[in-house]
Amino acid sequence: MKVRVLYHLVRADFLERVRRYNFLVTLAFAVYLGYCAATGKIVVRLDEYRGVFNSAWVGCAMTLVASLFLSLIGFYVVKGSIQRDQETRVGRILASTPMSKSFYTTAKMISNFAVLASMVAVMGVAAIVMQFLKAEDPHVHLWPLLSPFFLFALPSVAFTGAVAIFFESIPGLRGGIGNVVYFFVWTALLAVPISSIDANGQLHPGNYFSDFNGIVSVMGQMQQDLRAVAPNYKSGSSLTIGDTKTTKKFLWNGLRPTPALYLSRLTTLFAAVIIALIAALFFHRFDPAQEWQLRKSRPAPANAAKAAANGFANAAAPVAALASAALLTPLPKSKSSAFTLPRTVAAEVKLMLKGHRWWWYEVAAGLFIASVASPLEASRGGVAVAALLWPVLVWSQMGTREARFNTASLIFSCERSLVRQLPAVWIGGFLVAAATNGGLALRLLIAHDRDALLAWLACTLFIPSLALALGIWSGTGKVFEAVYTVWWYIGPAHHLRGLDFLGASPESAEPVRYLIMTAILIGAAYLGRRSKLAYA
Amino acid sequence: MKLTIEHVSKQYRDNAWALRDFNLELRPGVLGLLGPNGAGKTTLMSVLSTITRATQGRVLWNDIDLAQNPDAIRSVLGYLPQDFGVYPNLNAVEFLEYLAAVKGLDAATSSRRIDELLNLVNLNDVRKRPLGGYSGGMKQRIGIAQALLNDPQLLIVDEPTAGLDPEERVRFRNLLSELSGERVVILSTHIVSDVEATATDIALISGGTLVAHAAPEELLQQVEGKVWEGVVPSNELQSIKQQYLISGTARRADGVHVRMLAPTGLSGAQPLAPTLEDAYLYCLNAHRAGAAA
Repeated sequence: MKVRVLYHLVRADFLERVRRYNFLVTLAFAVYLGYCAATGKIVVRLDEYRGVFNSAWVGCAMTLVASLFLSLIGFYVVKGSIQRDQETRVGRILASTPMSKSFYTTAKMISNFAVLASMVAVMGVAAIVMQFLKAEDPHVHLWPLLSPFFLFALPSVAFTGAVAIFFESIPGLRGGIGNVVYFFVWTALLAVPISSIDANGQLHPGNYFSDFNGIVSVMGQMQQDLRAVAPNYKSGSSLTIGDTKTTKKFLWNGLRPTPALYLSRLTTLFAAVIIALIAALFFHRFDPAQEWQLRKSRPAPANAAKAAANGFANAAAPVAALASAALLTPLPKSKSSAFTLPRTVAAEVKLMLKGHRWWWYEVAAGLFIASVASPLEASRGGVAVAALLWPVLVWSQMGTREARFNTASLIFSCERSLVRQLPAVWIGGFLVAAATNGGLALRLLIAHDRDALLAWLACTLFIPSLALALGIWSGTGKVFEAVYTVWWYIGPAHHLRGLDFLGASPESAEPVRYLIMTAILIGAAYLGRRSKLAYA
Repeated sequence: MKLTIEHVSKQYRDNAWALRDFNLELRPGVLGLLGPNGAGKTTLMSVLSTITRATQGRVLWNDIDLAQNPDAIRSVLGYLPQDFGVYPNLNAVEFLEYLAAVKGLDAATSSRRIDELLNLVNLNDVRKRPLGGYSGGMKQRIGIAQALLNDPQLLIVDEPTAGLDPEERVRFRNLLSELSGERVVILSTHIVSDVEATATDIALISGGTLVAHAAPEELLQQVEGKVWEGVVPSNELQSIKQQYLISGTARRADGVHVRMLAPTGLSGAQPLAPTLEDAYLYCLNAHRAGAAA
């Protein structure tokens, strides 16, 4: 009986997701990953070596791509299933059934797994295609080609799906903060098994157990086998995007499955179930009282508290006699003002900044002061970088708020909403960026560093443009939160030229590139919003 | 002041027609748009409020085509959608200030107007409370207030009394009646009593087509002499329901009192004065019978 209930719960959730437009985008992403791997844009390399494209190598290489990317991107794809049940009110119906909290979170974890597994399946098909395309070994052996997906990719995405449920169940991690935090959790989970390999680069059975997505396990075996045939190999390994030239090939015959390896993968699956069960401890079971308490733990204003204490007696008081249209002062004919942009901007900024706790403002102010007070290099390279991450949840609302709060019909039926409200949102985002990162601008002004000031300006224009474009086109803040956090980590935080939109160092600053991108993104945002309106 | 709907049809992506060749001309007053669930009322409201585009036909406001100049209608429009949200972290004043700015109202006008509207919808005492803590009925009242922000000449309200308690419902009906003098008000609902209390005109819609457009008196005229009340034993109720169009039943000590619509009633049935609900059922039934034939 329970299995049947579980089946229907998972099935309904899965069908609801796969029939959404977003799922097609998700599958398209999986196809693109497969295409990148098949065409050599993403390559597994061991210094200058790579394996001959036989079934064993192709299967494992494609599995590594699937495990690495889907354990990161997959989290953002599947996170939101509990929230959807809440928004559609289906959750309240489910909460009124005898179903336990642990049953629900486990079902959601399995549903997450099913969605991500379908992406893994696409990658599996891509692996077969890849071997035909490369044609270095015409013999396709299905077991060595596909078994790595079962052994590594599927447990990895099961773990990811469980973590997504866990994050959704924890009040502080449910929203945008969780989206940002997960990136750092993922980075840490990736770093742990790498750091546990001994100084000689030898892989021990214990390493398998800390390797949730199997990357170190697979690459470790590849490295061991290469060392045996190529003594000059220096133990480097990477999953490379872009720079994919390798000069040497070696024949790799595939994984050597050991009991420890199998056990570690089962442990990952077991960990996924345990995480889903732990999530149940925090799951609110769609209790509206808990929900409201979690959303608004700050004290209510005095008059509201008074009204609440009276059970809104005043609000519902029999004052029918007062309800008269005669109370309304007729508006003058020229009631519509052409100069409302500043007021609309002010209203948008208020909307962006409302709802944050006091400490959010204190940290923002602290970062501002630290940017001004720090030495120029530290201000530009460290403090300002931190200040750029702090308002990520403010920017991620841009372009998504109307869909998220179901206010689109109110706003889009207003006169000139496209040219009045959309620019106001963008300017609001720009002002937030300028204010939170303004300390650096002051510091640069003091230092008379014009080039760096231009880079700062480009960055300050670029961020809200990216947020608005991604928000409008995706309809959710998750995309910006994920893309921006990863970009911030690779670019400004590591001063990587090409991706450093802040220009955290003189060498990595490219303001003109980001000014051009800003213009493109603003255009994309405009077209995206325009396409959503019946009449522009 | 005139709203003209000419041959408007709307087809959705799944090929279902929500509206078919819909025609209507409206002058100041309250139009009660009545129809069963799924009749196309909300689709028509969405077309009129510029949220969605008609597949065929056109809508004109004072002879200006909405497709050519949507802002001509938006600048005079107050719209209360059937399903809308609020920003939970804003309070009532902040939310209305925000929408006033988006609607292009100047600061002084909007400030005074918001005060008056919050009094009108009886939310003055909770004006500073975040909207996230409002009940469904209170959110509905905020929706009513925002629709009146710009003193609209065209007021479109879609199921406005949903979630309101009886007292607030009466208040809103009164308000609509008072507002109707110099503006076109479209009240979409499936609650006949709301229309009965406020509408100067009634449009019946079913299956995306206009079934009838008339004054309430004219609709009532159609069922004059066709409403009966008879008393039947409980065990005969099912067969009576199959023979007659029943608009109400009440179990009493002497049997089931049945309100029926028919040219002639059961033997012993007494004629009754028709209500708008009788007229609504009669027209819809006649339309369905005609469509089936």
